[in-house]
Amino acid sequence: MNISCFSTSKYMGKKVQGKFKIIKLFSTYGKFGIIVILFMLFIGIVSILFMGNSYKIPSGRSLEAPSLVHLLGTDDLGIDLLAQICHGAVVSILVGFCSAALAGIGGSIFGILSGYYGGWMDKLVMGICDTLMVIPQLPLMIILGALFGPSIKNIVLVIALLSWSRPARIVRSKVLSMRHERYITASQSYGAGFLHLVVKHFLPGVFPIMMVSVIGTISHAIRAEASLSFLGLGDPTSKSWGVILNRSINFKGIYFTDYWKWWVMAPLSMLILLVLSISFVSRDMEKVANKKL
Amino acid sequence: MKKHYFLILFIIIAINFFLPRAMPGDPFLYISVEEGGVATTFSQNQIEQYKAYYGLDKPLYIQFFNYIRKLLRGDLGYSIYYDTSVSKMILIRMPWTIFIVVCSLFLSSIFGTIIGAISAYVREKCADKLMYIFMIVFSEIPSFLLGLLLLFVFAAKLKCFPLSGGITAFASYDTVWSYWYDILHHAALPIITLTLAGLGNYYLLSRNSMLSVLSKDYINTARAKGLKKGRILFKHALRNSLPPIIARMFMSLGNLFGGAVLVENVFAYPGVGKLMSEAVRTRDYVLIQGIFLVVALMMLLMNCLADIVYKKLDPRII
Amino acid sequence: MKKNITAIVLCFVMILGLVGCAGVNKNKSASNVSGKVTLRLAGGDTGLPTPFKHTSGGPGASKMWLLYDSLFEKDEKGDIPWLAKSWDVSKDGMVYTFYMQKNALWHDGKPLTAEDVAFTLAYYKEHPPVGNDLVDDGQYIIADSKVIDTYTIQITTNCYKNTYLSKLGSVNIIPKHIWENVKDPATYEAKDATVGSGPYKMDSYNAEQGTYRYVAFDKYWGLKPAVAAIEWVPVSDSILAFENDEIDLCMPTGDVVSRYENKDEYTVVKVSAYRNSYRMVLNMKAVPELQNVALRKALAYAIDRQELVDKVGRGTGVISSMGYVPSASPWYNSNIEQYDFNLGKAKELLGGKTYSFKLLTDNSGSGTKIAELMKISLAKVGIELTVESVETKTRDSAIQNGQYQLAITQAGGMGGDPDYLRSIYANTNAAGNSKTSMSNSNNSGTKGQGQGKGQGKGQGKGQGSGNSNNSIMIRGWSNQRVNELANAQVTEIDQTKRKEMIFELQKLISDQVPMIMLYSTTTNFVYRPAKYNGWMMNRYDNNARCDFYKLSYVIRK
Repeated sequence: MNISCFSTSKYMGKKVQGKFKIIKLFSTYGKFGIIVILFMLFIGIVSILFMGNSYKIPSGRSLEAPSLVHLLGTDDLGIDLLAQICHGAVVSILVGFCSAALAGIGGSIFGILSGYYGGWMDKLVMGICDTLMVIPQLPLMIILGALFGPSIKNIVLVIALLSWSRPARIVRSKVLSMRHERYITASQSYGAGFLHLVVKHFLPGVFPIMMVSVIGTISHAIRAEASLSFLGLGDPTSKSWGVILNRSINFKGIYFTDYWKWWVMAPLSMLILLVLSISFVSRDMEKVANKKL
Repeated sequence: MKKHYFLILFIIIAINFFLPRAMPGDPFLYISVEEGGVATTFSQNQIEQYKAYYGLDKPLYIQFFNYIRKLLRGDLGYSIYYDTSVSKMILIRMPWTIFIVVCSLFLSSIFGTIIGAISAYVREKCADKLMYIFMIVFSEIPSFLLGLLLLFVFAAKLKCFPLSGGITAFASYDTVWSYWYDILHHAALPIITLTLAGLGNYYLLSRNSMLSVLSKDYINTARAKGLKKGRILFKHALRNSLPPIIARMFMSLGNLFGGAVLVENVFAYPGVGKLMSEAVRTRDYVLIQGIFLVVALMMLLMNCLADIVYKKLDPRII
Repeated sequence: MKKNITAIVLCFVMILGLVGCAGVNKNKSASNVSGKVTLRLAGGDTGLPTPFKHTSGGPGASKMWLLYDSLFEKDEKGDIPWLAKSWDVSKDGMVYTFYMQKNALWHDGKPLTAEDVAFTLAYYKEHPPVGNDLVDDGQYIIADSKVIDTYTIQITTNCYKNTYLSKLGSVNIIPKHIWENVKDPATYEAKDATVGSGPYKMDSYNAEQGTYRYVAFDKYWGLKPAVAAIEWVPVSDSILAFENDEIDLCMPTGDVVSRYENKDEYTVVKVSAYRNSYRMVLNMKAVPELQNVALRKALAYAIDRQELVDKVGRGTGVISSMGYVPSASPWYNSNIEQYDFNLGKAKELLGGKTYSFKLLTDNSGSGTKIAELMKISLAKVGIELTVESVETKTRDSAIQNGQYQLAITQAGGMGGDPDYLRSIYANTNAAGNSKTSMSNSNNSGTKGQGQGKGQGKGQGKGQGSGNSNNSIMIRGWSNQRVNELANAQVTEIDQTKRKEMIFELQKLISDQVPMIMLYSTTTNFVYRPAKYNGWMMNRYDNNARCDFYKLSYVIRK
């Protein structure tokens, strides 16, 4: 009959067991990426549990150099920079995950609907996707960012709005290919409704490739949030790395005083590290997923 | 195919019209204040008068109709903050943006392709792995962060390049060469930033394309014939792997523009990107609309062109 | 092969560029003509500097002021004669006769006469300029203007108000022979659009680069221009540009200014911008508890304004007067309650009651810091504050629409003639003008009382109020006596009586505490006295930025 049906459910089972085995398949870069991501999660948790409000309450003189009390120095308001960086990790990860999850879920729903039903729904969804691809992403995000206002919620929404088309396409093509499988026709002849097909068959099949695209979206989301914050459209109370960068770059005299060594370099390097590691991980996951398929 | 594009065009125009109007932050509330600036105050009379002038007091569909009519005449309206014709403002800044975008497109595609081709040829060897990692790193780092790094190191610390501007102010030039040298000097860092950010894409594309071409039979034939490595590489393999690369060049113009917005801000380069962020800052939605429309239209055009060129280059595609 | 060659050529070009590093730091522009100085300042695009096209605000307006002249000029003490050598005022105060300078010329060589003044006044009625001072309470203040002879002009106003003379004096005169043929000044950008009669002429303007170049007008009738040329160049970091000798004036913050203090080659001047002040506005309409005067006084006593100056202003700043009129003004009444920090008095006034309010502030560093410090201080007397920090525009919009309980903002409207007391604290405006938007500024200066951007753009209907009408700030409060006094003082011809009224107004305001004034910020200016030393630091109505004032650029005795 159909092997793929069994292999996908086997795949699901194996996936949970073999989670760590997958990691072994990663290249060194992938492993490096995982370590960095775990590190970021760690400092994020530390920030929530132990640092409390020190990322927004001034606790020292302004623009202190790194010392034992303030490991990364302070910014121009006297707020500890290390606390801000740790808090920024929370923000970046949250924004990345939430928008990617939202885009992934939304995109999958549209993809499944469009792939399964076809017809006008398909044309509509694909038309919207095409338009979104043609419109220049960043300017649109700038406008939407200004429109919805600067708050983390809105930024997540905006990024999700602009990123759902890629997962939608991927899911749609997968569903299209699955739709004609014999086991689907068999289920339909047994009276399986749409929901049943989705839950039992489509979702498991779609899951692996969706995961890969979601991870790609996370990196894209983090970059987008940093860009928006850097331009001054981000949420200033969130103290994400982009916001810290925005403040430090716009500080008069940043270029020839010493402050840039910690005030600019810290958020800059953290952003680069996070984006790089997510991208390494996503590339490796793509390779792994491709091998399996 | 063509109908497809017209529909998208209409949607873009509609979005462009409705979006800024829904923005909170009334442009008449006040005009953003820079340090040492003063905000204007508008009385209710003035606000109403402004609205009448901009036609904001008429019902929405009439506004839309007028908007389309003006568009056909090329009138993009008057900027609220700068009080100048929007089309004029965009027109004088466009050449600067196009200059850095086209230059970086050229450089990143050429260099990326060549390095990708070489990489494919020596695949799995040390050089390939090194180049691969290098390219990935550069393509993943957001362009404005790269730009910031370059700004700090080369402009602020080493003082090799100017910190901002497109040209030295009030300079007089002895020859045409010194004029162009000055422009290039100011454009160097933005172009380098955009190029580095775009290299990765072309590298990967070219590498993959080359890898598939290199496994073809005619390459083996060429090798068997005893042709030199370079000749095989460039004359046969590369030429055949070009179509997707060229198509990608057109498509990536959109991303490049997005990158240009950020990079122009980092380097205070006098292009359309910088104007865009000024406009958003002052909530000058007439200006925002104008810029957005022009950019979206350009992108649409590029996509169209990409389709046509691709078809011509590879007649196998329907 | 072709690709190879192209690649190599491009590499070569790029290397050339890098090699050219060596010649970079030379100042290429013709900046020092032998003997005379070219002043370089930080700029940016603020529009074409005609009275109709500059962007509103100090940077845009001040460039225009240098090109054009007005009947009076403003110095440290008050208005001084400028284009108008002398003037007479009729007994009823409504007819002004100005006797003008006889040797004033336009930049194109033609003489400036009373015809130009009459033309300007009529033209501005139909085509209001960006900075429009001639509209008061919705009315154009000039009823008639008559040319008596070539250099004498008589202007009749629609009524008498104490502010009118200064308003008339601040009108920028435009040349009749150029503008009489221009139907829509907002679109007029020809070469002669910037012809004025001021001490400097327009040499070049580049919008996308944001650069301006002015040269001295050697046939200027008045005080000689102090420099040969002024150039405005956009810079990404003004402090770095100042360090590299690219610009000649900068305004560093408290953290950076210490580099320049006590050094001979730099002069550091600290100027307090009395015209602006941080303040806490109270929405007495939305929060009925705030209508209790005792509570408002308690709030005033419980806020340590000196601490705000020390911690937020880094020690540079001036506590504002609770009577609104700043202490540097000649109209200041020193015999009013200033609510010095006193927790005991505050607790007494509260009588043991506790309150809890929401405090709205913007997301700037200072705004949030002020809010945090206030929160800590007020908690000590039992008033709990929940601080909400939003974007500047959101905060302004909230204040405009009354969607706040307590809010911190920085606003101006405190310079020059104290008629601003009427617009802020009195509720009955003569023409029943509806609410206007808020004026929110940071360390700013502007001519006269306020600016309105009313443009007919060819519709010929240019009307708009020129008042910086801040009545938005006081919600849910009005005082009969204050209204009476405010409306009386503006038409009071006897200046001694008027001063008494202003004094009494301040006392009432300080007793009633409808708004809590915090402090005015201080700006640091650094320049190189060896290069240029002619800056006028203070102006009687303005105290904001020396590079905005025309008198900074001419040689005064």
